[in-house]
Amino acid sequence: RFFSPGSAALNCSQTPKHLVLLRDGRTLIGFLRSIDQFANLVLHQTVERIHVGKKYGDIPRGIFVVRGENVVLLGEIDLEKESDTPLQQVSIEEILEEQRLELQAKQESEKLKVQALKERGLSVPRADTLDEY
Amino acid sequence: MLAVAWGSLTPGKHPGTWRSSAPHRASPVPKSLCRCGGDLPPRSAPGLLSLGGFLRFPSQEMPSVSVLDYALPQRPPQAREEERDLSERALPRRSSSPVIGSPPVRAVPIGTPPKQAAVPSFNQQILCPKPVHIRASMQQRYPAPYGERMSPNQLCNVPNSSLLGHPFPHSVSPVLTHLQRAQLLGGAQAGRMSPSQFARVSGLVGSPLPSVNPKLLQGRVGQMMSPAGGFRAFFGAAPAPPPPSQPQPPPGPASHLQGLRPQPQMFRPDTTHLHPQHRRLLHQRQQQNRNQHRSLNGSVGDRGGHRGSHQEQARKDPYANLMLQREKDWVSKIQMMQLQSTDPYLDDYYYQNYFQKLEKLAAAEEVHGDGPKKERTKLITPQVAKLEHAYKPVQFEGSLGKLTVSSVNNPRKMIDAVVTSRGEDDETKEKQVRDKRRQTLVTIEKTYSLLLDVEDYERRYLLSLEGERPALMGERKQKICDMYDNLRGKAPGQERPSDDHFMQIMCIRKGKRLVARILPFLSPEQAADVLMATARNLPFLIKKDAQDEVLPCLLRPFSHVLYHLPLGTVTSLVQQLTNLPQSATAPAPTNLHLAAVLQNKFGLSLLYLVLSRGEELQSSDTSTELMQDNQWTELMLLATRELLRIPAAALAKPVSPPSNLLALFSRYVDQQKLNLLETKLQ
Repeated sequence: RFFSPGSAALNCSQTPKHLVLLRDGRTLIGFLRSIDQFANLVLHQTVERIHVGKKYGDIPRGIFVVRGENVVLLGEIDLEKESDTPLQQVSIEEILEEQRLELQAKQESEKLKVQALKERGLSVPRADTLDEY
Repeated sequence: MLAVAWGSLTPGKHPGTWRSSAPHRASPVPKSLCRCGGDLPPRSAPGLLSLGGFLRFPSQEMPSVSVLDYALPQRPPQAREEERDLSERALPRRSSSPVIGSPPVRAVPIGTPPKQAAVPSFNQQILCPKPVHIRASMQQRYPAPYGERMSPNQLCNVPNSSLLGHPFPHSVSPVLTHLQRAQLLGGAQAGRMSPSQFARVSGLVGSPLPSVNPKLLQGRVGQMMSPAGGFRAFFGAAPAPPPPSQPQPPPGPASHLQGLRPQPQMFRPDTTHLHPQHRRLLHQRQQQNRNQHRSLNGSVGDRGGHRGSHQEQARKDPYANLMLQREKDWVSKIQMMQLQSTDPYLDDYYYQNYFQKLEKLAAAEEVHGDGPKKERTKLITPQVAKLEHAYKPVQFEGSLGKLTVSSVNNPRKMIDAVVTSRGEDDETKEKQVRDKRRQTLVTIEKTYSLLLDVEDYERRYLLSLEGERPALMGERKQKICDMYDNLRGKAPGQERPSDDHFMQIMCIRKGKRLVARILPFLSPEQAADVLMATARNLPFLIKKDAQDEVLPCLLRPFSHVLYHLPLGTVTSLVQQLTNLPQSATAPAPTNLHLAAVLQNKFGLSLLYLVLSRGEELQSSDTSTELMQDNQWTELMLLATRELLRIPAAALAKPVSPPSNLLALFSRYVDQQKLNLLETKLQ
């Protein structure tokens, strides 16, 4: 028998939490309340989790309605495994700061790369139109 | 009214058109309709009648109509037709989409979820709230006495609400909330209300709330809740503060109400922050799910951690079952439909193979008697039988020619693009080179397709019937021959003097991998041929491979081939590899060919392999034939000399030096040199 979304919810006493990865790189964690054939999702008590290195931070967001085309993957969180993770939770401000630093570093290295390639006469297409994060 | 008038005008002429058809674009009422009797143009018939039919529909039903009902023009009455001049007839109704060749049009789109189960009528006012224009106008006229958090719809349910729009005095008995009516249905106490009050009440709920069944109020005189109490019960623990303008409940009819005991309340979680409509829907779903749970209770049983009290579950997570099981099944069904395939090995090759491998591993483990194998939840994809669909374009009888409509089932070629190759004489050299390379690439791709087919034959063989197998084998053989021809370049009739074609293929990374995969399928002679060609041109190949470094992938298939080769071939191989003996013109100390070979990982490894094979043959073959083979001995001597000469640093690192090389060299060199060689081999 195949899995149907929320079938676990019907049988267990606890609703399982779901993790959704979106195309722009965001990770959302929440209770999946509804799904349709396009993978449009309704997430309840959603939290956006930002990962930087070994740290992560949660931003509570409330109810999300996600259009299906933006979903990369969706999975159920094993609540036992979630409790023993090597990752360390930090405050929102801290994780946002870390993210900013990481982005900055990435941009700088990218700039150097493009510069080096330009010197050699090669050009890399801009990744704006690609799903890159 | 309209329909009745029409009927009176042309009695009995249109029995067939009184069916429920989809509402037609309403044509304006012709003036002629106002006349009593007389002729009326039949063309207006469909529009009006369907309009009449439309009025009869319940407000939420919209049947899915097949296009045939919709697109084809309705038949006008026969009698009229003969009398009419045909020029007066209107054009037949145009369908809104091209029928022919397209998938059928539905009035309800394919993706709509299943409808809600039919809800009892008293709930209708929740699910189908009053249209906005009515709501808005009412709000303008009357102030909101009960606070802003209630929707206008809710307000209309409030007893004694002045919003109801009827100038009845407040002495009238309160209008019940839907919940109270539900409780009324359940309760059956003799009431002290006079029927007249109910009659007025029913009048009250006449037009603004059309869907309420008056019978509910007339016949059923049950428990009546005091309005305030009812409110509190419905809205949960923390009610809104009663506004100051709340009218007093009328003393007369309501006095007896206070004496009544309110019904025991169902437990409700604190949902006061929600919109009332939201709340109602939520509770309704909970009720539905409770019913579901009750019926399922036997099967659910006590699955790990399942508590008996559903209400407790509801308390923990009131939104747990927003999606009904039916809806979940429906989504799953769609997802599974998308996975249907007639040939899973074609559509989903990697998934199938991966799971086969896993199963083989599991089976192997089981054979060893290890612990219980893990249950692997495999998604069982629905299998669909292969059906041959031959699309036949629609043809009309009696028409000349065929329709040319392009649709999703019958795509049509829009542009006729013809490739014209210009064979100019003064083509630049670069262009020639480029074309040649492209030719090679095409050859590689074609050969790859052949290869994939050949690799697949084993599986097909297992699946096929006995009678088909020889045919399959024949096909396979043919394909292998084709592959070989492709590799070496077809040269009908003549020998294959040039390795050019092969070399071109080998210069391309994909070509090398292709050769590695083809080798197992070739016959020994063919394989040896390939090997020879490689050895002959090895320095060239090495140079070309400097960037890709893909040559080592050939080592394994080569070693398999070598295993079957006789000594003669091996000898010539060594000769090719080392380019020994050298011609007289080449200066003695430099053997560039061999040097290149030795300095390259692949080259050296290949050389070692060949030498090792030679040694195997030598040691296994007890006859003295080998000893007498001058060529071999000579080669060995020369080879060892070269090896000694080359500095160890320049030697490449072989992939895996065979173990019997020392034994080989020991035949030809003395101990001292042997030690030297040994160090070099490390």
